[in-house]
Formats: sequence, structure tokens, C-alpha cells
Amino acid sequence: MTYSLLVRCPNSGRFGIAMASYSIAIGRLTDGIRANVGVSVSQGFPNPANNPLAMNLLAAGFTAAHTLNDLIVNDPRSDWRQVVVVDRTGAVAVKDGGKLRPWSGHMTGEAAVAAGDMLSGPAVLTAMLQAYASQPAAVLEDRLLLALEAGRDAGGEKGKTGPLRERSAAVVVCANDDYTEWDLRVDQHDGAIAELRRVHAEYQPHAAYYIERARNPHKAVPAMEFADTLKASRA
Amino acid sequence: MTYSIIARCPKTGRLGIGTTTFSIACGRRNESVRPTVGVSKSQAMYIRAHDPRALNLLEQGFLPKHVMDVQAANDADWDYRQTGIVDREGNAVAHTGAKVGKYCGHKVGPYYAAFGNGLAGPQVVEGIVSGFLSEPDAPFEYRLLMGVEGGQKAGGQATAGRYRPSRSAWLRVVNHLTFPEVDLRVDLHADPVGELRRLLDEFVRYRAYYEQQRLDPASAPAEEDFVAAL
Repeated sequence: MTYSLLVRCPNSGRFGIAMASYSIAIGRLTDGIRANVGVSVSQGFPNPANNPLAMNLLAAGFTAAHTLNDLIVNDPRSDWRQVVVVDRTGAVAVKDGGKLRPWSGHMTGEAAVAAGDMLSGPAVLTAMLQAYASQPAAVLEDRLLLALEAGRDAGGEKGKTGPLRERSAAVVVCANDDYTEWDLRVDQHDGAIAELRRVHAEYQPHAAYYIERARNPHKAVPAMEFADTLKASRA
Repeated sequence: MTYSIIARCPKTGRLGIGTTTFSIACGRRNESVRPTVGVSKSQAMYIRAHDPRALNLLEQGFLPKHVMDVQAANDADWDYRQTGIVDREGNAVAHTGAKVGKYCGHKVGPYYAAFGNGLAGPQVVEGIVSGFLSEPDAPFEYRLLMGVEGGQKAGGQATAGRYRPSRSAWLRVVNHLTFPEVDLRVDLHADPVGELRRLLDEFVRYRAYYEQQRLDPASAPAEEDFVAAL
């Protein structure tokens, strides 16, 4: 009961993952992302162990297709998983397990995969890929968030008795460092994607500040002072 | 303006961190915890590359004391950083640079380190420690949370005598597996520590179910049915 978009940005080589789910704290599954290596997730009935394993396989030089195959062979319950792998060349590999709950499936774009299970229908994935492609010049984190919003607006998730509202969401981007560059989550909220948009907008003006104060601590403005100035500039 | 507790659970060997801060999304620092290796948390005017490097060194087998010395030697602005390191054996060290925002300080115990900056006073560090130690039989994730809560109860963060509430909080516990056992974040909230406790109480109700999804999906009920039965 999740919909996701995994991409390699053709402009920058950055990797990104966006997820939304009826499950809580879905962002705990976004750790399958590594600079210059790739991005991967196992969802459906998730096996979180697949994500670090996928990173190790991709880092060893295996392709997305080979990595996917290894993950499936290694997991006796792979029929219940939906596994997505994107490698450093932008090649993608996806497997929708046969036991996923309907509607489940995936669609691929340019170095991009939208995938989900328990969706209201394929329109969710179409909308995500369209939204992602609609602003090619925007920064990756913005494009990923747009895709989540589009997936939600196209119907999102659906359970036995009707629509299921997403309760958690996350957007994570990795650039060149051995830590994530953009990494925001909402773990449990009635409108998780709208709440993620709020956090996203609030974090945006801080992003460069957090980097700069580390590089240049002698000249850094204290965080609270920075926040006060920001608040005053908006008033 | 951040305070943290990092520790190795003396009963289970699990490693974890609890932290809260004025900055947004402190839980994005997920590079700071590595299963079966240790925890390194740099804060104040931190450089993010410090923590992965510290963990790489721990993974090679170096002790936290040596790792801290290497970090100091590698950083011209070490006076601006505050860092705690705990390894897989529970060895703990902490550093609070001379130019870190006041009040700042740390306290190191046999298997933990509590440290913070931009605090209301030394009682906050004491509050973290006494919160963490208050219920030694509680599950490790709750002990870490009680550490953060203890810091908040003791006055939390302040600048020039003015109380500054936290805006984000984070709790992560790793066991012997390659992915976190508990990983909960509050990225922007008026009461992130209270919200973190609500989330942990909630997640604890789901934990066995999510393990069932991983290990025995054939018998796992539909999540909406599981939620309805809660």
C-alpha cells in the first residue's frame, strides 16, 4: 500500500526517491539510496533488508537487472514484494510480485520508475510520471514532491472498503556525498503529503544555510537568529 | 542548539540515538548511526562528512578515543563542533569545542554520551542523563526517548535567557540487522518531543505486524484490517 517514484536525474546524476503510504513511517524504507551507486526499494509487503543489499550489489558494479535478480533469488517471499532498482547509468529493473494486492504495477519513464500497490488504478502512476516530467528544469526534490501530489490527486491508494488516505510520506535525494542531500519525512499525519509540502517549503530557505554555517562557522549566524530574520522578512 | 543521547544498550547490544533541536528535520542525519558499528553524532556547527568518516574508522576497529583524535586533527574548525561517539562495545567519548554556543556541555557514562549546546544550562545535560538512566529495565528506545524528555524537562534550549522550543526530533535504534529497528522522525512540529513519544507508542503497536509483512507475508492480514482491529 505504497506509491513511489525512483529516479536518476539525467541532468545532475543525482538519485531520488519519493514515497507515500497508508503504512506509518514509510520513510524508514528510503535508506536504499547512495551517491554514484543507485536507488532501490522493496515495497508491497516490504523487506527492508533488500534496500542495503541492493546498494551493496550496485556498489560492487552489478547492473540494475542483475541486482534485481539477486534480490529475488535471495528472498523466499519475493512474490509479496515489489522491487525497484535504478543503477548509476539510469538503467531500471522492476519486479511486481504475483501476490501483491491490486491494483499493483509500475511504469517507467526516462531513468525513472513509478510503482505501487493497492492503488486506485494505473492513473496514479501515469500522473506521477507526468508530473515528474512536467518541470525538467526544477530541482529534483521539487519534482519528486510534485509527483507525490499528482499520485495522490489521481486517486492514491485504495483498500477493501474504498480509498485509503496516505499517512506517511518522504522525499530523499542523494548527490555526491556519503549522506543524503535532501531528506524530509512525515511519519504519521492525516494528510501526509500536504504536511510534507509544508515541511518542504519551510526547510527550503534553510538548506543552504545549514551547509554554509558548517563550512564557515566563524562567520555563521546562529540558527535562531537566522530563523528570526527569515520570519521578519516574511512579515 | 541541539541535545542528544547516544548509547549502546547494555542488555541487548543495540545502538541508538535520541535527539531534538531547533533546526528542521534533525533526523535527516541518518548517516550518524551504523548497525553493529556505532553511533557518531556531530552537532553545533557540524560538518556532515564527520559522522560517516568516524563510522568508517570504527568499522576498521579503531576505538572512539582514537577516532575523536583523528577527527580533531582533520578539522581546522574543531572548536566549533560538538561530537559524541559510541562504539559497538559501549565505549563512549564526547567533545565540546570552546567556541560552541553556550550553554554547552557533555556527560559521558559507561555506555552512553549525553551532549548539547544552546541549552538553558548544565541542568539540561544532567536532565538527559537522569532521564536516560531513570528506568534501566525499560526498552532501549524508551530509555533514549526519556533521555530527550529529561533534557526538555530540565529547560531545553535557550538563547540569552529566552526559551527556544525544539522544532524537530529523531529516534533511531539499530540491532544486528542491516536496517533500523526503530526509525521515527518529527521534522517540523510545535512539540516534536511530545509528538515523538506519540509516534513511538504508535509504532510499537505496528512493529510486530510490519515484521510479519517481512517474514511471513502469506499470513499477514491486510493493513486496513490490522488498523481497524487496533
